[in-house]
Amino acid sequence: MARFEPFQEPPRALEGLKVVELPCLDTMPFLAASMAAKSFADFGAEVVKVEPPRTGSQERALGPFRDEMPDPETGGLHLYLNTNKLGVTIGLENRRGRDLALELLAPAAIVFNPNRPELNEKLGIDWRTLTARFPKLIVVSITFFGAESAYRNLRGGDLVATHMSGVGYETPWHQVTDPSNQPPLKLGGRQSDYLTGYTAAAAAMCALYSRKTNGAGQHVDVGQWLSMISMIRPNIGCYSHEAPDSPSFQRLSTRRKMAAQWVYPCKDGWVSFNAGTDRFWRGAKKAMGNPEWMDSELFDTIMGRTAHIDAIEAGVIDWLSTQTRTEAFEKAQAEHVPCFPVYSPAEVAGNGQYKARKFFIDLEHPAAREVRMPGAPCKFARTPWRIVRGAPMLGEHNQKILGERIGRSDAELAGLAAAGII
Amino acid sequence: MGTRPLEGIRVADFGWIYAVPHATAWLGALGADVIRIETSGAPDLVRFLTGTDGSIGANRSGIFHAINSSRRSIALNLAMPEAQEIARKIIRQSDFVTENFTVGNMAKYNLAYDDLVKIKPDIIMLSGTPLGQDGPLAGSVGFGPTTQAFAGLCHITGYPDSFPCGIGGTWPDFAVGAGMVFFMLAALHYRDRTGEGQYIDLSMAEMITTMMPEAMMDFLMNGREQAAIGNRDESMAPHGVFPAAGDDKWIAIAIAADDEFSKLCEALGAPSMGSDPKFARLFSRLANVEELEREIAARTRVHPRDELVAKLRARGLAAGPVYSTPELMEDPVFSRSSMLVKLKHSEVGERVVPGLPVNFGAIDLEYRGAPMFGEHTDEVLTELLGYSAAEIARLKEAKVLI
Repeated sequence: MARFEPFQEPPRALEGLKVVELPCLDTMPFLAASMAAKSFADFGAEVVKVEPPRTGSQERALGPFRDEMPDPETGGLHLYLNTNKLGVTIGLENRRGRDLALELLAPAAIVFNPNRPELNEKLGIDWRTLTARFPKLIVVSITFFGAESAYRNLRGGDLVATHMSGVGYETPWHQVTDPSNQPPLKLGGRQSDYLTGYTAAAAAMCALYSRKTNGAGQHVDVGQWLSMISMIRPNIGCYSHEAPDSPSFQRLSTRRKMAAQWVYPCKDGWVSFNAGTDRFWRGAKKAMGNPEWMDSELFDTIMGRTAHIDAIEAGVIDWLSTQTRTEAFEKAQAEHVPCFPVYSPAEVAGNGQYKARKFFIDLEHPAAREVRMPGAPCKFARTPWRIVRGAPMLGEHNQKILGERIGRSDAELAGLAAAGII
Repeated sequence: MGTRPLEGIRVADFGWIYAVPHATAWLGALGADVIRIETSGAPDLVRFLTGTDGSIGANRSGIFHAINSSRRSIALNLAMPEAQEIARKIIRQSDFVTENFTVGNMAKYNLAYDDLVKIKPDIIMLSGTPLGQDGPLAGSVGFGPTTQAFAGLCHITGYPDSFPCGIGGTWPDFAVGAGMVFFMLAALHYRDRTGEGQYIDLSMAEMITTMMPEAMMDFLMNGREQAAIGNRDESMAPHGVFPAAGDDKWIAIAIAADDEFSKLCEALGAPSMGSDPKFARLFSRLANVEELEREIAARTRVHPRDELVAKLRARGLAAGPVYSTPELMEDPVFSRSSMLVKLKHSEVGERVVPGLPVNFGAIDLEYRGAPMFGEHTDEVLTELLGYSAAEIARLKEAKVLI
């Protein structure tokens, strides 16, 4: 008789790792640490999220809310960013609160701190204090401009980082026709917060590998500004190899229309489309039914096509005006030409490709009931990304973490709660 | 004295273009031996995107040099079985295999994950593609910037009531690359504990969508379709880019609280605007946002940009100049930042390229200039794989090596 094998959930990559996430106390929303800690939590690390008492962390006050009814327990950002985390409330401005937080750090491998240096110093949680007190701890500063930068105490955030990096200057990409009425543009949502979060997660893992070599922790300095500048690294390389007024540099960093844009209108919406390389150009010709205008030898080389981009785009837009998004997508992809429909969030949510890969996940949450949300950023075959617990209620794990874990008695916890510290 | 945390780790890197080469530049800087395996069948187009001092060539691309630091390059004709065998010999001695070809390409070279676990059971392989390895559209080709359309990002990026936008900085390639570093090291951490490697299947589109929770959660919870709102924010006002004196000069200003708004009005010489009931409170500023923005723009456009930035920063406000790349390169802080490193390249000499965007207190980052095409073919075959000079000569003759 076959032996009964109980069903076992697959293992998780970061099981056993302890991480603490401190709250951002600025008035500027800054969700990078939340994203960094989510990355660890969703691959199995134990993340204790410290939130200010009463109000909770920033994302609880930010929409979208269900039916547009603000509720700190059911906001979409809170539900999404805090999956798998344990939640405790601690007032860091209070000395006793600060001491509680320090006790949480003792067994942790990594702490994410998203506050500016001057505030950290005031609270006694600056990286010098923390690394001196906990030599094995990896202290990840996530700041607007870098914890050691001359700009360290300036306030920034998604908008400022985007525009000070050069990314905003060239957005929209080669679509600006009226510069005085089309200012440089930020990306939709809070892209630079989440980018900084992923960057901080990567940097924290690097430091963890350093710790494996010698057992020592260290300070890791992650700034939103440099994280965004990292997105324009081609420009920096071109700048140091070519004159700033060279045609290739001008095409890379400009607000004027000089090169191929990434998206074009078609019959029923927009598509992205790029036929820049020789191979894609040949494919595009076939996909578009070999129109005569494409035979011109002006277009035989990348250089020629770049020089005559206006004529090419006119031809492409002309063809696209007869195609739906799906027709253009299918015809171009059949010839291996990069082309995708511009989808709205609703279309992303209903998309067959995402469905086939089970990208969106459903979970039960005590306050929000059934919630659907974006899932894994990538698929691990052996240790899949997985939600074992929805976002915590405010202070949900105070008893478990502050009581059982670091040994505060019920009476002490009641006292701290009465004093508004937890 | 800092550490080289990934010393002893080897990466067989078939990656090209932007995302994977950026990820492996991190690993190389941390001390890993990254061997970039280049092929004549699919040469990296980034090697020809731009040049040096006006001339283009496989070893002259400033962009390539900015992305491919800290690695060796070998050049194989992977269509030939003997070249595939050399690749497999490298993989036998590697910890990671990375690639971002179209789905199925590695299988054509007999280098799919299923082939590789047979020769290196604990290998960690990461594949990056536009839409993932399975599903009805798995075979799609695309760059990051074309893929962001599919993922929903172009739809929510743009001026109000206007067209969907492509995004600068070849978004999202380097964001995906940074994520890949985290994913790969997480898998390595698991292998350290269990001895087990695994396959990582990254869909760029899915990763982009994980960075859009505002719009996605609004749809998933409320069925509400968010549209582009320019530089605005639903929880702040003003939150925008305003003209400064001069041609195409702009300042970004983000006001997160009512008292910050009073300080802004004061700095702009319009203190009464701070107490005007139309603007004094956040909800009223949001309700009258167009008028608010007109009033502010009328006052910012008389100031030189950097003077106004300094004035607002002195009041503790979140404000910054809108930089083009040349202006960024002249920023007094960035131009001296440790992110800019001068590296030696075998053909074009010493040039400044971007290093990692983060600083470590106790890691010695190992930056080496990007390799020429196949610069280390002989070195890797001799030192790592033990080929003799005569064998290498024969393989070159047979066009197995390029």
